[in-house]
Amino acid sequence: MPREEPSGLAARQEALVRALVEGAPLPDGFDAHRVGTTARALARKRYGDAARLWPELLAHRDAYVAWAADHPTRGTWQDVWDFARAHRDSLDAPARAALAVREALWRYGDAPRPRRLPTLRLYPRGVVVAAFGRARLLGRR
Amino acid sequence: MTLQTTTGPTVGIGWRPEIAEFVAGLPGLAFTEVIAESLHHPDPELLALRDRGVRVVPHGVKLSLGGAEEVDPARVAHLARGAALVAAPLVSEHVAFVRAGGLEAGHLLPVPRSRAALAALTRNIALTTAELDVPLAVEPIAALFDWPDDEYTEGEFLTELLDRTGALLLLDVANVYANARNRGQDPVKVLESFPLERVAYCHVAGGMEGDGLYHDTHTDPVPSEVLALVGEAEERLSPEGRLGYLLERDGGYPPGHVLAAELDAIADAARLERITRRAA
Repeated sequence: MPREEPSGLAARQEALVRALVEGAPLPDGFDAHRVGTTARALARKRYGDAARLWPELLAHRDAYVAWAADHPTRGTWQDVWDFARAHRDSLDAPARAALAVREALWRYGDAPRPRRLPTLRLYPRGVVVAAFGRARLLGRR
Repeated sequence: MTLQTTTGPTVGIGWRPEIAEFVAGLPGLAFTEVIAESLHHPDPELLALRDRGVRVVPHGVKLSLGGAEEVDPARVAHLARGAALVAAPLVSEHVAFVRAGGLEAGHLLPVPRSRAALAALTRNIALTTAELDVPLAVEPIAALFDWPDDEYTEGEFLTELLDRTGALLLLDVANVYANARNRGQDPVKVLESFPLERVAYCHVAGGMEGDGLYHDTHTDPVPSEVLALVGEAEERLSPEGRLGYLLERDGGYPPGHVLAAELDAIADAARLERITRRAA
């Protein structure tokens, strides 16, 4: 095992990650265009992961990519939920319904925790009833 | 540790749930790869491939071997369990870091090619291989940028790293192409500077041009330049002791016949048997 301690490396790596995922200032000596391109590619990749989990987000691609640029990932499961909660009022109908179903079935938190008791959630177009791990949307006509 | 193989190199494809049916239907398939972190919930279709004698390589993406912090023992243990579960001939990870200061980058990031990073990688690889019963191959990544701290060329850095750790090399031909192109280097010269005698297997993937740079996307077709570099690599690699060329596709999955044509193009470029039909 080497004796040399990776001194300074931890701080250097953290500064770079903060620049990439939090929009923090880029440490000296890096190519701003190339690191910026990497950050955008990363945000697009996160949108791809999110859309696989929540296809209902399809119409919110640009908003998601912009949001991801300064919200470091907490895992895709948590990210899509955080995004949807932060944009509750501007989501389109399919995304709002998906959020309502998610909130009826799961408790908000770092790890997926199903709700144990039957729940009822109102959303602009109707109501979600959830029980025993299944949800049903009852829409208003 | 060296890699024990019973056959010469062949062409394989990375197993993903979205293309499981296509992969299972490949008559000549001898090896595949699975994202190691997905082995928390192993797919029965993947285990069926293992039972058919297909060699399955767990490919980790979140260990952060190049991180300044020590690798997480729970992640290492999971990698070792995954290797046992699929009866893997080896496992692979990246010469990269994915988190720092408690923040996930969500991406494989390049390490500085510095003495400090070499020390961190050496320690983390030693901590990892200590828990593994099979060899570890490490993959140099494609990166759009370099660190101002670089003290070594990529070839020097890898040679030193593999000398210190005894790890094998997962040579991603598309990454060599991407980095050489984005740095304005000759990809064949870069390839020749790598410790090619340590290659356990190779990756091949597609990419696209954007913002004046080549992006190794894994969601686009494999360009002819990468196929040409496969031919160059095959001429320089040992005929034995490695698994072959594995196509990585991570999204934008095309119809099966398009994937089959890509696998055939890789086989032709490497002058190997096509795996899309039964051997004569």
